[in-house]
Amino acid sequence: MIQQPSQNDLLVGHGRRRLRVADWAIWLVLLCLLGVGSLLSDSMLRPANLVNIMRQAAPLGIAALGVTFVMILGEVDLAVGAVISVSAVLATSLMQGSSANLFPAVATSLVVSTVIGGLNGSLVAFSRVSSFILTLGTAIFLYGCTQILTGGMAHGTVSPGFREFFNLRLGGWLPVLVIAFLLLALVALVIQRTSVFARQVYLIGANRRTARLSGLPIERTIVIAYMLSGFFAGVAGLALVARSGVSGSLAASGYEFDVLAAVILGGTSFQGGRGGVDGTVGGVLILTLAFNLVNIIGLNYHSQLIVKGLIIIIASAAYQRIGAQQGG
Amino acid sequence: MRVHLHNHGILLILALIVVAASLGVPGFFNADNIANVVRQSSVLVLLALGQTFVVVAGMIDLSVGSLVSLVVVLAASNAGSEVLSIALGVGLASGLVTGLLVNFLKINSLVLTLGMMTIINGMVFVYTEQSIGAPAPWLVSLANGNIAGIPAVLPLVVAVAGVCHGLLQHTRFGLHLQATGGSDENARHAGIRTNRIIVLSFIANGLLAGVAGLILLGRIGTGYPNAGSGLELDAIVAVVLGGTSLRGGRGSMITSALAAVVLSLVSNILNLLEISAFVQMTAKGLIVLSVVLLNQPPKRAFA
Repeated sequence: MIQQPSQNDLLVGHGRRRLRVADWAIWLVLLCLLGVGSLLSDSMLRPANLVNIMRQAAPLGIAALGVTFVMILGEVDLAVGAVISVSAVLATSLMQGSSANLFPAVATSLVVSTVIGGLNGSLVAFSRVSSFILTLGTAIFLYGCTQILTGGMAHGTVSPGFREFFNLRLGGWLPVLVIAFLLLALVALVIQRTSVFARQVYLIGANRRTARLSGLPIERTIVIAYMLSGFFAGVAGLALVARSGVSGSLAASGYEFDVLAAVILGGTSFQGGRGGVDGTVGGVLILTLAFNLVNIIGLNYHSQLIVKGLIIIIASAAYQRIGAQQGG
Repeated sequence: MRVHLHNHGILLILALIVVAASLGVPGFFNADNIANVVRQSSVLVLLALGQTFVVVAGMIDLSVGSLVSLVVVLAASNAGSEVLSIALGVGLASGLVTGLLVNFLKINSLVLTLGMMTIINGMVFVYTEQSIGAPAPWLVSLANGNIAGIPAVLPLVVAVAGVCHGLLQHTRFGLHLQATGGSDENARHAGIRTNRIIVLSFIANGLLAGVAGLILLGRIGTGYPNAGSGLELDAIVAVVLGGTSLRGGRGSMITSALAAVVLSLVSNILNLLEISAFVQMTAKGLIVLSVVLLNQPPKRAFA
């Protein structure tokens, strides 16, 4: 798909994607959901509940930040769920319940996750096979590896202080895990807005052929985007451990599709070339808030699935419509 | 339709695996085990055939696994005479809805069918949280019995594969399907009703998933709500291993079916070698990666 500058971009003047209705829509939807929630339950808007939603959203949200760059490129990363599992299992296995092992364990998890991302990126960049099937292949392989490592059961012991640190509530209400999520989102946003790398990601995603003819480093950009995706998935694995304290080998099985749904809800499309991490944060919050709402209404987990499916379809259709109207 | 060199890759792999396993794996090359492989692979072959219609149209359908689960639980809890119409009805309805939504909402089929998958999974579990009912006797004999010494599913699956192959390669529908997948816009300019073609491809996939659900129910013997979980990805893997490009526009029913047989063969052999399920998963991932990388589609001028 070729990205045309939309009429709005021209009217706004500085030609940035930031000020289109599509970028605001996600926050309006979030506000509406919060409004509906506050009608249904008095406790909805209490800080404790809002903070709790953020805490629930953290692992999914952190992983979705990295995947956003891959999807702006017009590719997809189905291995994030598996990388989250690898990171979580590695971290707890290496910690062995001792605080002396904490930093080596965290560092190893992050390095391994980033390297896996780099390998995925190289496969995608240097072959003609679709990233869908390549990352599906690595996902199956990695899930097998984590199962071999753990024997299929919850495994390892978290270092003392690790969970306590992330669940520590600053000022008595704001958990460190939430702050970590927000900080990482900020880092991703700074990368997206200011780096040459991000500019190349958008251009390559919008029109790969033009980007190649213009001499942009396509292969290198793809590999870096997947490394970012791997790194953020690694952090998400640590966040999962911090939240739940255990790491089963299939801890994050199925996460790849939740991540995909959140990124798409946030306005990043499969065609590539548009979207961004700010929208992704909104998408993650909407998804988590919607589950929270369904819980408040008292529907069970299975009905939540139906609601989740409807949200995915309706939101994507809405974006498609807005995008078409704006010529983007 | 020209025969591409890479289409023969999967046949070569199949032959190599059969020869190597016959020589090296005790208990592989005997009538009972071969019949077993045929029965095991039948469900995946049907799903791979169905997915090929959708992939050739340039789309992807993630909802078939959940659709199989839905057919399994519905068919297990209803009378034997009704199950065929239930399975075909559910498949038809789901394919129709997905196809219409792809056309009207104009959203990516991966996202749409991800939503459909989630919704149908929810419906399955709202219907039942645990295994219910049992397959009708005729399903059990279809899935596990023999006719004239060969597995009863074999003639069914071969006939279905033949019909699908004929539809794709030798009918106007097949031609239009390939044109639509190649370039939706060009096909429309050429007067092809691409919307209708896309709906038909999803319906074909839904119907085949319905039949696959019935056979799976006959094999597992109970209405297990997670029965179809993950099958959609296996079907897509089979289609791609068969050399059909996810870009759409071309593909082969025969190689998709052969690739589904290869996947089942590999798991049969690893089972005979008593290799743990965990190692099998790792091996499967490696096989997918190496086959797609070795068996790449021919280079195109653009990308």
